[in-house]
Amino acid sequence: MGRYLLKKAGAAVLTIIFVLVLNFFIIHIAPGDPARILSGLDNPSPEVIQTLREKYGLDKPLQVQLVTYFKRVIKGDLGHSIVYDRPVWTLIKERLGATLLLTFTSAIIAFVLGSLLGAYSATRQGSKVDAALSFVAYLLYSMPSFWLGLMLILVFASWLKILPTSGMVNLRAPSTGILHYLDVFWHLILPATTLSLVQIPAYYRITRSSVSGVLKEDFITMFRASGMDERKIFRKYAFKNAILPTVTVFGLHLAYVVTGAALVEIVFAWPGMGRLMLGAIYRRDYPLLMGIYLIMSLSVAVTMIVVDILYAVLDPRIRYT
Amino acid sequence: MVATQQTNENNQCEESGGRPLLEILDLSVGYETGSGLVRAVDHVDLSLYAGESLGIVGESGSGKSTLVMSVLRLLPLDKTVVTGTVLFNGVDILRCPQQEMARIRWKEISIVFQKSMNSLSPVHKVWEQVEDIYRVHAPGASKDEIRERILHLFNVVNLSPRVLELYPHELSGGMLQRVCIALSLVHLPKLVIFDEATTALDVITQGQILDEVMRLERELKLTSIIVTHDISVVAKTCKRVAVMYAGRLMEVGDVGTVLVEPLHPYTKGLISSFPPLTGTRKKITGIPGALPDLKAPPPGCIFAPRCPEALKVCKEKSPVPTVVSRDGEEHLKDVKFGPGESAGLRNIQVPPIGAHVVACHKYGGDDA
Repeated sequence: MGRYLLKKAGAAVLTIIFVLVLNFFIIHIAPGDPARILSGLDNPSPEVIQTLREKYGLDKPLQVQLVTYFKRVIKGDLGHSIVYDRPVWTLIKERLGATLLLTFTSAIIAFVLGSLLGAYSATRQGSKVDAALSFVAYLLYSMPSFWLGLMLILVFASWLKILPTSGMVNLRAPSTGILHYLDVFWHLILPATTLSLVQIPAYYRITRSSVSGVLKEDFITMFRASGMDERKIFRKYAFKNAILPTVTVFGLHLAYVVTGAALVEIVFAWPGMGRLMLGAIYRRDYPLLMGIYLIMSLSVAVTMIVVDILYAVLDPRIRYT
Repeated sequence: MVATQQTNENNQCEESGGRPLLEILDLSVGYETGSGLVRAVDHVDLSLYAGESLGIVGESGSGKSTLVMSVLRLLPLDKTVVTGTVLFNGVDILRCPQQEMARIRWKEISIVFQKSMNSLSPVHKVWEQVEDIYRVHAPGASKDEIRERILHLFNVVNLSPRVLELYPHELSGGMLQRVCIALSLVHLPKLVIFDEATTALDVITQGQILDEVMRLERELKLTSIIVTHDISVVAKTCKRVAVMYAGRLMEVGDVGTVLVEPLHPYTKGLISSFPPLTGTRKKITGIPGALPDLKAPPPGCIFAPRCPEALKVCKEKSPVPTVVSRDGEEHLKDVKFGPGESAGLRNIQVPPIGAHVVACHKYGGDDA
């Protein structure tokens, strides 16, 4: 187990380094220049640009910049944002919480609802409920999250006026205590619903097919032949055998918790990482962007390790090797 | 516990009063497909007396497994059409309430499946599954009691106790088969069905397991049905044999009679498809052709299109199963069976124990 973890962690570190290097070059090859954006003029003088470049080390060759970056990252310093003029880690820290709140909430809701509905459908294949659920799943699956978000805003915020349009807090609401949490929860409802709805179909479909596959297995017939209660067969034996693919999807979704909700965050003006990243790309804020990539690949790597371990816990055929 | 079990058995013996333990009467099973009903089992009459061992043979797709699955009511309700009657100890299996069926399953009739590698959940330890299956019919059983019972059976089927702590994938096919056989015996059922239980095994393991099955039959006085496409398995383990083809019974009788002097052309063909172990080397002929389309079976005898001895009548009229004497010459014409008109289920005539039944026009099958 220890060796397995070490092996996985080693592979994860290598992956992260590879991703960072790749991203570093891609972002620098792309046209655009932060110095030009910072100078803020239509036709900035070459001196201003030169000074800005020197200030942020952009005048040095790429490989030198890369090595400098890695040296700093190893010391725990993610650098300084060019655009915001603040430490990258501080910027990320401010928004990570908001994003994780939104993405975890919706991932868990989608996981629970999607797999329950999928299991329900699988046991009633061909019924009207099954057909209706499958139809809705297709509909939601093909629906862009930002559009769904806009529609929800239109209905629940503009027309019915029962939920807030955007943001994470009401500036007039208390900023501490239970009322603050209630306020955040109030603002969370629409974006979390949007994100859950677009994720539910994946869980629904994978659970439905996996449960119906397991229900056809010989051991299910064997338990039936033993006179075992149908509910017990389902809850104990079918469920544990069918849950693995669903866990995979959950892992894949979790890997994108950090930045996967960018579109929804923009639609709902949610102060999260997704918006921070899009802004950084738009303004060629290299240090901020690299910092976000680092956090992102770190979260992907960590979730993958967790999913691998979970797999081995759930399925004895998979070993820690 | 043991005492009650014995009185139960005595009671049931008195109740059954010389009737077969299992009576299959005019049973038909159809599978619903998009393009029509596939008649997997077609008007089958078969009875099995306590203590007998019956082999059901036939080529793949002849409806053997479907037949035994319907005896345990394990066929999917929405995709199958089952008609006829199955009486087990006088209980109408196809129509009794679900609770009654749940009580009969495993406690009275248990089954060992074809693919034992998949007969246990791969993500649960053997012990956990043994425990759950045992507790279906003995909810209050202590762990020690279950362990003692299963270890005794493991000993009988030559398995080491450590198997309990393993997962199914850690066992070999033969070991899993033994686990399944041991599991099928935990409640000492009256009838055990082996559905191609040894087909997937190599001949050595198969031989060992068959020896064990035969020993169990003797020691535990089991009644068993062995479903197989391998005549040698039947020859080795069964007293009686039923030959099935395309969902219909072709010939039923004692193994010594049917396998040595088969009457039905299909049985002859089936036997000549296997090389004899002793005696002179014979040509293995086999049976040319393939199973008919069971959605639209040919009129007359279902085997007629492939039958080398087919007469004109064979393609026109279905032969009626008839009891014949040992040499096949004299017909006991007055013995017909199947549900009588007065369908008073207790009064159905069944062929006498050890009767030789053939469904072929050559042997009086056209008397109907």
